Amino acid sequence: MLLTRTPRRPGVEALGTLAIMLLAAGVITAQAAGNTEEKATSQSGEGPGNYTVIDGKVDQGTYDGYIAYTRSCLACHGPDGLGSTFAPSLIQAVERRNFGEFSHTIVSGLEIQPGRVMPSFADDEYVLSNVENIYSYMKARSAGDLGRGRPKVIEEERDEKATEPSSEAQE
Amino acid sequence: MLRYPGLVMTAAGLMAASLAHANQNQLDLQQNPDLWATQLGNYQGNRFSQLDQINRDNVQDLRAQWQFSTGVLRGHEGGPLYVGDGRLYIHTPFPNKVFALDLEDEGRIVWSYEPDQDSRVIPVMCCDTVNRGLAYADGRLFLNQADNTVIALDAESGELLWEAENGDHTQGESMTMSPLVVHDKVIVGNSGGEFGVRGHLTAYNVETGEMEWRGYSNGPDDDVLIDPETTTMLGEPIGEADLGVSTWPEGEWERGGGAPWGWVTYDPELDLIYYGTGNPGTWNPEQRTVDGEPADNKWAITVFARDPNTGEAKWVYQKVPFDEWDYDGVNENQLIDVEFEGEQRKGLAIIDRTGFGFLLDRESGELLVAEKFAPETNWADSYDLETGRPNVNEQYSTFRQGVDVNTTDICPTAMGAKNMQPSAYSPETGLLYAGINRICMNYEPFETEYVAGQPYVGATLTMMPAPTQEGDMEGRMGSFIAWDPVAGETVWEVDERFAVWSGALATAGDLAFYGTLEGYLKAVDIETGEELWRFKTPSGIIGNVNTFQHEGKQYIGVLSGVGGWAGIGLAAGLEDPEAGLGAVGAFSALDDYTELGGILTVFALPDA
Repeated sequence: MLLTRTPRRPGVEALGTLAIMLLAAGVITAQAAGNTEEKATSQSGEGPGNYTVIDGKVDQGTYDGYIAYTRSCLACHGPDGLGSTFAPSLIQAVERRNFGEFSHTIVSGLEIQPGRVMPSFADDEYVLSNVENIYSYMKARSAGDLGRGRPKVIEEERDEKATEPSSEAQE
Repeated sequence: MLRYPGLVMTAAGLMAASLAHANQNQLDLQQNPDLWATQLGNYQGNRFSQLDQINRDNVQDLRAQWQFSTGVLRGHEGGPLYVGDGRLYIHTPFPNKVFALDLEDEGRIVWSYEPDQDSRVIPVMCCDTVNRGLAYADGRLFLNQADNTVIALDAESGELLWEAENGDHTQGESMTMSPLVVHDKVIVGNSGGEFGVRGHLTAYNVETGEMEWRGYSNGPDDDVLIDPETTTMLGEPIGEADLGVSTWPEGEWERGGGAPWGWVTYDPELDLIYYGTGNPGTWNPEQRTVDGEPADNKWAITVFARDPNTGEAKWVYQKVPFDEWDYDGVNENQLIDVEFEGEQRKGLAIIDRTGFGFLLDRESGELLVAEKFAPETNWADSYDLETGRPNVNEQYSTFRQGVDVNTTDICPTAMGAKNMQPSAYSPETGLLYAGINRICMNYEPFETEYVAGQPYVGATLTMMPAPTQEGDMEGRMGSFIAWDPVAGETVWEVDERFAVWSGALATAGDLAFYGTLEGYLKAVDIETGEELWRFKTPSGIIGNVNTFQHEGKQYIGVLSGVGGWAGIGLAAGLEDPEAGLGAVGAFSALDDYTELGGILTVFALPDA
């Protein structure tokens, strides 16, 4: 989950930008900040909007966000967050909505006009427990750090997760 | 219509045989070529009109007469009904409004009806909040509401006559299909294959709304209304009991899908209804194995021939045992009389989701022809006509490739080479006409857990345009084809930029009509496919093109209003298979061509 667990590799790109992004998100951890050689194209750590992408692979939370999105959001918002003919792209939505607004819409729903409704997911425990992950996934898509399709999980994350019994249920 | 003596004879034969059987009012209406009284034009599902006022020689003069906005956005499937009372009856996606429009007064609203529905049904509709249209008989209109309520309205006044609860949206059930009236029954099927529902087809009394019978798509024979001694499969009794239980891992049939969300057709002479069932529960095939090996998951993706009086299954044919690609078997069963190997046969033709065109004997259920109409089809190489089973190509078997493995370049996509868009059949040419999808996919199954009312999919997929041959339109994602169901060959094909998601129409005016996702209504020469006329409606067309004649004037009517699965999958464009991850917009995005909006457009010749 923390970047320091990943092996260091040479070839750092746009490190200054990365640092600024991390600062802006207010999620710098000592480990992440010190990890100057990380080939991460993204911001790090857990929490809404944070994600890790390394060589196209993602942290477990962001992966869970992809799966939750695909299960519960894709049917309206289109594949990979791109939007459909009747529901907007969430990739664009997270550019102008903060986490509070994003989660509020998921919980409360929206009545745009008769028959054009964003349903409330207030009764949906699965979605509610994944709102932060979905937001992280969308942030990664929005920043251009993550492409279309189902990402792989960073192996070290998966190994670590596998030792935690509570995380075995993958819905 | 003496030009077509064969057709007249068939019609007369049907009438004689069916006096005591089929809903006489509906059958009478169908046999009047001026009318379009059922969504597929007739019980046989032919979508053919004997009208020829609009024809190959004058179609270039066809003009829009008037348009009507339904006030509803999202995908408009189905089409207008005309039963001869000077009105058009149309419907909308959720909230499922119904309108009676005055054909003599450019669409003035005679009455409208809007049900009060729980909007929480919307998130359990996998593929937009579509509805495939109204049914009519004896002065009543029938509608399947999204929230599983079946209603009857007085066609004269729009007054609600009865309502019946067919399912529970909190368990993932919904309704999108168009009912069919046979005898004194209105026959309906549920949707929800992506939510682990248990599929069922149900008959309600047209007068009272009381349930008369229900046949499930899986589970014990008593529920499926199968008798293994008398119900046949490929001409032989099934023999073994309760295959709807034993071909599943323990209890999995209870969430075994098989939702019959497509079209129902009917042969009044044999007194049998025909329909197909959808995908078997989760898209992760590994979770549907028995002892780790593929299991048939009966009776998903199966053609059922049932007695409409009792629901009893006369014969079954499972097109795809152990689905690994979401190839729902719901496509319309076209009832056509053909000459096959020198013999007259009562045929049943399917332009199937799988990319194969089937021809069966609709009396016995024997499989006669199974050939690819979408040449890129690769999940199976062929069908064994003896066993009725596909010869699955291991390379594209998502089960053999495994859970959490991305099986790539499978054709066709889960949308199918043809989805719900109903085909047309011309008895004059003997050919079927259909809009099809030229799209392939990567498919990655994953372990999923069933939670009632939650999606139960267990696979992710990405889609890309099917490979093209020399001469094909670059990056095309659809086409319109003329298919010979006996020879199993495509006679001609017109490429389209996007999947063709609109129902086709064939007419005695030597024309075939279809709509495109950009919003064009097109008329082509039925012999060659040459485009003769087009009109750009305000939104993409996923509705069906219907025709009718009122006071000596032939009209064409079509709903536009982009949406459906096509509107979800194609809006932002597909991936370029060559460009790898992140190649957004490498192929045409539907978003660049059209926007939402439900509109009925009515066409006629100016001088008619």
